[in-house]
Amino acid sequence: MTDQRSQAEIVRQSLKRRYRKERRFRAYGILAIAIALGALLTLFTDIIGKGYTGFVKTTITLEVNLDREMMYLDDPTDERQMKMADFVEPLIQALIQEIPGATEEDRDGVRDLINPYASVTLRDAIKANPGWLGTTQTMSFLTHTDVDVYVKHAGDEAYSIKLDEQQRAWVDELLERDVIETSFNDVFFSGGDSRDPSKAGILGAIVGSLLTMFVTLILSFPIGVAAAIYLEEFAPQNRFTDFIEVNINNLAAVPSIIFGLLGLAVFINLFGMPRSVPTVGGLVLTLMTLPTIIISSRAAIKSVPPSIREAAEGIGASRMQVVLHHVLPLAMPGMLTGSIIGMAQALGETAPLLLIGMVAFIVDVPDGFFDSATVLPVQVFLWAGSPELAFIERASAAIMVLLTFLISMNALAIWMRKRLERRW
Amino acid sequence: MKLNKALVTVALAGSVAALSAPAMARDTISIVGSSTVYPFATVVAERFGTKTDFSTPKLESTGSGGGMKLFCQGIGTQYPDITNASRRMKTSEFELCQSNGVTDITEFRIGSDGIVIASSKDAENLDITLEQLFLALGSKVPVDGKWVANPNKSWSDVDSSLPNKPIRVMGPPPTSGTRDSFNELALAAGCDALPEAKSLSKDEHSAICESVREDGAFIEAGENDNLIVQKLIGDAAMYGVFGYSFLEENSDRLQAATLNGRVPTAEAIAADEYPVARSLFFYVKKAHIGVVPGIKDYVDEFISGAAMGPNGYLKDVGLIVPPRAALMDLMDKAEAMPNLTLDELK
Amino acid sequence: MQPANLLLLTLVLAVVAYGLGYARSRSLAMPLGGIRHLKSLPFYYGARAALWSGIPALIVLALWAAFQGKVIQLIVIGGLPEGMIPASEGEASLLLSKISNVASGALSPAFAEAPIAEAAERLKALRSQSQFLMSALVIAVAVLAGFLGWLRIRPRLNARAQVESILKWLFFSCAALAILTTVGIIFSVALETFRFFEKVPFSEFFFGSQWSPQTALRADQVAAEGAFGMIPLFTGTLLISAIAMVVAVPVGLLSAIYLSEYANKTVRGVVKPLLEMLAGIPTVVYGFFAALTVAPFISDLAASLGIEASSQSALAAGAVMGIMIIPFVSSLSDDVINAVPQAMRDGSLALGATQSETMKKVIFPAALPGIMGGILLAVSRAIGETMIVVMAAGLAANLTANPLETVTTVTVQIVTLLTGDQEFDSAKTLAAFALGAMLFLATLLLNVIALKIVRKYREQYD
Repeated sequence: MTDQRSQAEIVRQSLKRRYRKERRFRAYGILAIAIALGALLTLFTDIIGKGYTGFVKTTITLEVNLDREMMYLDDPTDERQMKMADFVEPLIQALIQEIPGATEEDRDGVRDLINPYASVTLRDAIKANPGWLGTTQTMSFLTHTDVDVYVKHAGDEAYSIKLDEQQRAWVDELLERDVIETSFNDVFFSGGDSRDPSKAGILGAIVGSLLTMFVTLILSFPIGVAAAIYLEEFAPQNRFTDFIEVNINNLAAVPSIIFGLLGLAVFINLFGMPRSVPTVGGLVLTLMTLPTIIISSRAAIKSVPPSIREAAEGIGASRMQVVLHHVLPLAMPGMLTGSIIGMAQALGETAPLLLIGMVAFIVDVPDGFFDSATVLPVQVFLWAGSPELAFIERASAAIMVLLTFLISMNALAIWMRKRLERRW
Repeated sequence: MKLNKALVTVALAGSVAALSAPAMARDTISIVGSSTVYPFATVVAERFGTKTDFSTPKLESTGSGGGMKLFCQGIGTQYPDITNASRRMKTSEFELCQSNGVTDITEFRIGSDGIVIASSKDAENLDITLEQLFLALGSKVPVDGKWVANPNKSWSDVDSSLPNKPIRVMGPPPTSGTRDSFNELALAAGCDALPEAKSLSKDEHSAICESVREDGAFIEAGENDNLIVQKLIGDAAMYGVFGYSFLEENSDRLQAATLNGRVPTAEAIAADEYPVARSLFFYVKKAHIGVVPGIKDYVDEFISGAAMGPNGYLKDVGLIVPPRAALMDLMDKAEAMPNLTLDELK
Repeated sequence: MQPANLLLLTLVLAVVAYGLGYARSRSLAMPLGGIRHLKSLPFYYGARAALWSGIPALIVLALWAAFQGKVIQLIVIGGLPEGMIPASEGEASLLLSKISNVASGALSPAFAEAPIAEAAERLKALRSQSQFLMSALVIAVAVLAGFLGWLRIRPRLNARAQVESILKWLFFSCAALAILTTVGIIFSVALETFRFFEKVPFSEFFFGSQWSPQTALRADQVAAEGAFGMIPLFTGTLLISAIAMVVAVPVGLLSAIYLSEYANKTVRGVVKPLLEMLAGIPTVVYGFFAALTVAPFISDLAASLGIEASSQSALAAGAVMGIMIIPFVSSLSDDVINAVPQAMRDGSLALGATQSETMKKVIFPAALPGIMGGILLAVSRAIGETMIVVMAAGLAANLTANPLETVTTVTVQIVTLLTGDQEFDSAKTLAAFALGAMLFLATLLLNVIALKIVRKYREQYD
């Protein structure tokens, strides 16, 4: 009797223990997922928190008196005169006028409020409108990066404010009167790299990325699909095709930086192609994405049920006809999905491009496949390595743009998989 | 199959053609060289690109030595047009240039720079003599009259007035002119101050007095001075060696060590009072002028009053600009483009 | 005509040839009593005609485009007056560059010497002539070959077999390209590696415990001898990878178990894509996160605990790398766990085991080899990862196992050695290739083993 009871007791107790273990195990699982998703969340909040101010620019609106004598300029169409003319003085005068209490003696302090490239903006404006000479125009200019940082991050400990007390008072005053304003940073999307953070933009990097991706796409998609078709449908089962197969699987796992070494040794040193150009970048990324595309295309071909093949063969279609008329159209959505994912990988790749010289300081937006260029992830890398926090802000903003591209590409792939892929 | 043969032939022909691709015409100036001059040169290049109709020059930071090597490889569009240097061209480099057909070179001395030993503002600042610096960083130091591998582990091992922290200094690699100047101006000078150095032969002198220890206390960072700055800001136990301009750009977060009782300031460097000051240069390959468009205009922009004048934009980014008279000389030089000769370098 | 336009035109001609071939096969079939008397369908006759017209034309186009530049250059140089003919290759390249810059307008012709301006004019003329000739030739070849192909269409001709074999060839050459890539990697990397070992002895590279690759650039420079011992690099790589695995394996594995055994459909539908998102984030973003957020956080945290931590601790780079690898581990383990037959699960549950006991005592042991394979793949990914360590790990080659210290990795050194430097004769540059070769071999080995394990395991239950 007592024996039995204790047996039940033991079982009950052990059950308790076992259920507790069960709950604990389950909790571990939830914890693991929480850690992973927490990391994702932290990453995103960190980058958005650091970078959203990168989409804001600070401008100053001034009444500029374009006096001929002050600028030493009579005829804006004369190149020599334009070269020698002084485009800084009108800006300084306009600023002194705008700031109450500022005098000629404050020239230097006043000059440091406006972007060093404002004079270039002014010159271009006069070049475009020669009639402005001798009149007073209301124009808006970028402020100096120090002012930009002060306006956006005053009170933020991470940022150091380089303006002195006097300048801060001026900027506060001008902000009050809406002479200095913040607005959407279109400069960021319309310019190339610059040494001045306020003037730096990602257009050059985006165009570079697009050119590189174009080369990658037109090479890797047709070649990848064709190779997949050959391997799945036509390859005789022998050592050689086995070898190719093992190779492709292994190539997919080769670290990307090795492809950079290959590109450096073969394309640049052996073939004498120029450094830092999208064509070479595209070739290197093609080699890198090919295995991904081949593998996913083969999986897509494999998933077409044999009944379809057999039906087509049954009514006398040749092997090639079976493939081109029946298998390929059915496998196409899967192939496209795989290719989009492969392209997204290539778009985010940085390491191999560092080795083929796509890290130079390039200001001009590239206009061809053989023009020096950089790409979006490399631009992020370059800015992230710069000590100025204003560049870190731009790097975070560039990351947001990059992630937007990547997430939309992946979303497209998922959407396509859901919409187009057939389940058999 | 006949077709196979045709395909193979075409593939071969194609690759041969690719191998012997004709040299491309270049219409963008290509600049290499010192990472110390890089921040100045990029600003000039960017200005030049926005001001003129020429395309913006392409810059790569390769270090003074690496830049010289590339520059002296020959003439032709695949070689750079201009190299920047944070020290003067060496005679060996000049000879390399000559032997590769780069005979006509013009030299421009564009101002001065000091080499600073800096640390994060959170760190303990160093007040050190060059002699102590050599004892901390030299590969061999005298102990009881004998030259042995540097045994000093922490700064206080060198001198008790120095902080009791392990010696960890981050500096540029030998491709860098900053490293060359650091070896010559700081280490060798410190070594010479030691009584034991007097008895060294000339060969021994250069082998001992100009070499940096390699046991991990001196860490060679790449050519990217920005990187050193960033790593210093994060690590209070680390000191870094780089150009004065980087110190100035980050003056809110970095502090400089006092060397031989001198704090590096623009005035002290320009007046040569600070012990580790040197001049900055760039070299132009004359054969490329008139071939690659805009080289002359780039030089003009670099030495213009707008850039290097007393209120020039290069001063804003930390260059210690030459006095007015020297600037006028530079402008004459840009007009005449005289050839550099071996005698000048000796 | 521009080559790109010409390419389009060739394609248009091929389409025309297709139409004509198609029509001719039909008209040949008419008198015989319909297309069923043809050997192949009319489509194939059309396609054959298109290939006949297109392929030779494209070959001519490619050859012409490849060689025209060189030929034009030779003619331009040859046409220069006696005194200006360049002596060396470098001068020739300068001269040609000058001429073509004058021709394109990048250099003002007003400043160029008369012979150069003339040469530029000649260059422009030659270019347009060459383009005209190329267009004429390509079109002629396309039309002529298309016509020949068209003429040879007979009802007995097996057009389908011909077209199909050409296509098959095309497919084959694409597949062979994958081989060429591997061969290319092996050759290029191996060649430079051999050259490296000519300069640095084997034993030093493999067993040396010092890494300091900077060597003298000039004859008169006093610099380090250069030490090429890769042990500190490999231990550094292993340390960071190990930290990454410590983060990624438990988190990845447990989340895979939870998702496959416990979570309901909606949870899985939300969490799985989110986890996969971690794999889609570019490594440069992780590097940015590690260098600017995680590393300072860790060193501050350590400082507040009174421990000294470097600002580029192995821990920061390793932890962030671990986060990156989580989805890799979880999706591989997910596959493996799902591959365990349901019968084993049912059997265990029927005996009264709880879900966690089933998992731990039955499924996990059964899935273990597959999971090991997956982990090996993840390790190979970790040791080849570049951007995170380039941005967040240090450059100092320390031989240490302390995760709070700075270490450097193989990939960091490859990038450091090769950015900016374009020399191919120094041991320093070649060392990067030797490291690359080691990295390639290590990842290859890990992969081959992992794939073998995974495959063997799959066979067990199939």
